[in-house]
Amino acid sequence: MEKVICRIKRYDGVKEWYQEYDLPYEKGKTILWALTKIREELDPTLTFSSGCRHAICGSCAVRVNGNAFLACKTSLDHLLSTFETHRLTFEPLNNFKVIRDLVVDWKPKFEKMKEVKPWLIPSKDGDKSNGFRQSAKDFHKISSPTDCILCGVCASECNQLSLNQDEYLDPFILNKAYRFAVDSRDAAPEEHIRPILENGLWKCFHCMQCVSKCPKEIDLASENAYLRQATMNMGERANKGARHAYAFVEDVKNKGRLNEVTLPLKTEGFINTMSRIPFAFRLIKKGKINPFHLPKAVEGIQEVRKIYEFAQGEKES
Amino acid sequence: MLSFDIVIVGAGGAGMMAALAASEGNDLKVAVLSKIYPTRSHTGAAQGGINAALGNRDSSDTVEKHFRDTVKGSDFLADQDAVEFFTSNMPNIINELDYYGVPFSRDENGRVAQRPFGGASSPRTCYSADKTGHVILHTLYEQCLKNNVKFFDEWFLLSLAVEDGKLDGLVAMDIRSGEIYPIQAKSVVIATGGFGRIYWNRTTNAINMTGDGTAACFDVGIPLKDPEFVQFHPTGLASTGILLSEACRGEGGYLLNKDGERFMARYAPEKMELAPRDLVSRAIETEIKEGRGFGEGIGAYVLMDLRHLGEKKILKRLPQVRELALDFEGVDLIKEPVPIRPSCHYMMGGIHVTDYKTCRTPIEGIHAAGECSCISIHGANRLGGNSVADVVLFGKFAGLGARETAKQRSFGSGRKVRKEADKWIKTFEYMRKKPKGNNLITIRNKMAETMWNNVGIFRTEKEMVEALETINQLLEDYKDAYIGDSSVRYNMAFINYVEIGNLLKLAKAVTIGAIHRKESRGSHSRGDYPKRDDKNYLKHTLIYNNGDHYTLDYLPVKITKYQPEERKY
Repeated sequence: MEKVICRIKRYDGVKEWYQEYDLPYEKGKTILWALTKIREELDPTLTFSSGCRHAICGSCAVRVNGNAFLACKTSLDHLLSTFETHRLTFEPLNNFKVIRDLVVDWKPKFEKMKEVKPWLIPSKDGDKSNGFRQSAKDFHKISSPTDCILCGVCASECNQLSLNQDEYLDPFILNKAYRFAVDSRDAAPEEHIRPILENGLWKCFHCMQCVSKCPKEIDLASENAYLRQATMNMGERANKGARHAYAFVEDVKNKGRLNEVTLPLKTEGFINTMSRIPFAFRLIKKGKINPFHLPKAVEGIQEVRKIYEFAQGEKES
Repeated sequence: MLSFDIVIVGAGGAGMMAALAASEGNDLKVAVLSKIYPTRSHTGAAQGGINAALGNRDSSDTVEKHFRDTVKGSDFLADQDAVEFFTSNMPNIINELDYYGVPFSRDENGRVAQRPFGGASSPRTCYSADKTGHVILHTLYEQCLKNNVKFFDEWFLLSLAVEDGKLDGLVAMDIRSGEIYPIQAKSVVIATGGFGRIYWNRTTNAINMTGDGTAACFDVGIPLKDPEFVQFHPTGLASTGILLSEACRGEGGYLLNKDGERFMARYAPEKMELAPRDLVSRAIETEIKEGRGFGEGIGAYVLMDLRHLGEKKILKRLPQVRELALDFEGVDLIKEPVPIRPSCHYMMGGIHVTDYKTCRTPIEGIHAAGECSCISIHGANRLGGNSVADVVLFGKFAGLGARETAKQRSFGSGRKVRKEADKWIKTFEYMRKKPKGNNLITIRNKMAETMWNNVGIFRTEKEMVEALETINQLLEDYKDAYIGDSSVRYNMAFINYVEIGNLLKLAKAVTIGAIHRKESRGSHSRGDYPKRDDKNYLKHTLIYNNGDHYTLDYLPVKITKYQPEERKY
């Protein structure tokens, strides 16, 4: 390969266009190298942001061929071999407002982040002149979530956010809430968790894009699971998400499998389920569900229930 | 006209601590300007830690020892009254940060963990794995959000306005809209960080570390103090200059030359790799110079070997370091040693601060803290772990100082700041429309190359005089520069233009300071004057900007307790 064609989405505040730049191929270079080279040698009007160049400031995230990356730490070689092409399309992060070219607006995101009270609500165990004691184990709980550099890659990849900018909080905001909810020094985990519940906690699609794309490998999916459990422990069970989770747990405990006919009833309640009858008929017609199928307990259901007992014991001990 | 009681410029560790302190009580109108978003600030890049004599790891450690180590590390150029104030307040600051929510690594008793660092006689560097600066920066931002601090993100400081020797205000551009505003203020805190970018790519600094606040202060008559003292971090990645934390050496990493020798035995037989940064940097460059490095020219390097620490320890204590070496040098340091070479890291010098308790400068209304300032606690060489400490502690006191100033002063006339803003509006208009001229990138690269080769780790008169000529020429070329972007909105080419102008001014001051300091001290190492000369140079350099012509003055060093002695490790 002799050259790399960089096709960049441009925006000047009024119009949008794509512009192509040819760069000579050099082994071992990064996306940021390419963008910098274009700006310095080909086109001083190309606008993007970058800071530390070593994956700690979070400034330089962009999309390449539809996927979000941190420009400074992603090698072109990796992209060229992944996409098996020498033509790369650069675009600003998804789910952000664009200011110019590849630069996006973070201000509304930080405003949104305030919802979860992203600061320590200190417990009475500490004070300003002595700090806290915290075990190494408890530090470990907040170690990974505090790796977050607020680069926005997770938000760009989030499919729920693409549908629902106003009623869903960005994955990094969930991470922020989680980070304080599990901090042994925090006095009020619920104050961080409740806003998440009120902003579509259960709407996550489990598409796992945030997890697989996070440049810091933060396990946002497990954090989300924790937050959901925490809301149920807080007594927040009168919502679709919690009811759905309980229906799963009960069905599997009783029969070792799901009952897809009763699941919507348990999740959405009678009235909402009735409104879905036309949809259910279409499913029946296509043979997707069988309303007369009442599953029997699976063979070995006793073993399944033992697992439940065991898990219950673990939780209580 | 926009007006605030206090304006803080820069939202790194120092700026945000200043904001927290200044906005206490909510009785004053405070604004923070940052040319980026606060969490992008360079404080976040600090990996290794923050020094405070807590005695958690070594109960024999004391504030006194921290004081002595810092003075000795500074090669006796630090002001000892300031150092004493600094070291005795640091334990409190750590507790305060803990209370704010900084996720510190912990010891077996649940106390803040501490590790050994270069130049320290006890393990006193508090840390959070190897992301200490990052978590402190984010925690301070969180606290600012909690306190509803007013942030102007992506606002760029163009200049300060001073009338009758007192602050009138400042001029800043809202980068997104391209609008230029005069802003009135009773006091400002300049906290804009260092200017390692005078060496452009041979630095560990972020791309935007261009000394904007330092240059703005310099332009209104505040002298630069000790600009010749430039710290080179011994362990930059060989190919990019990106920093590998001192924690590598703190955790026991070896430095090896091409003969497989732990060469530090020759330079600091007792401290070995844990000698201070200036010593280790020179040792590495000497090895390379004498042919015991790998490779040649600008690409030459030595190795840092961590393999003997074992996978478990590396993954636990240095996970980010390992990732950096993997991503940016292609080396897994669990399996192989990593190529390293010194890289410009930190500016000991900066805005002349005249009172460490309030961080005020000679101009009424202007305060400064953090790397942009020179208080001076680092003297001729800063110890690892003292910089994040410096930013949070003096950031706080600068905020308190600015608060006092704002309470005592009333607003200036606003005439000067309006005039200054009009000047910038015309400059922006002119530069946007200017159709041709000198290439800015060429100017910038020439500056960096000259500074690295002639005013770098080893210095001599002849080379530095040449450098000064080159920089003067580049300043001339700069007057006819061309930016190549005519847009009003988010015009980064214009921002870069102003930044490069700032760097050139500061590079010139570094060079002049270095030429006139005819001795070797701390990071300033001269081949033609290899010895420290206390008789003539136990004093701070002050450089004033009188237009094209810079003038030089000196200031005595404050010595309270420790008489200068030869610095041995």
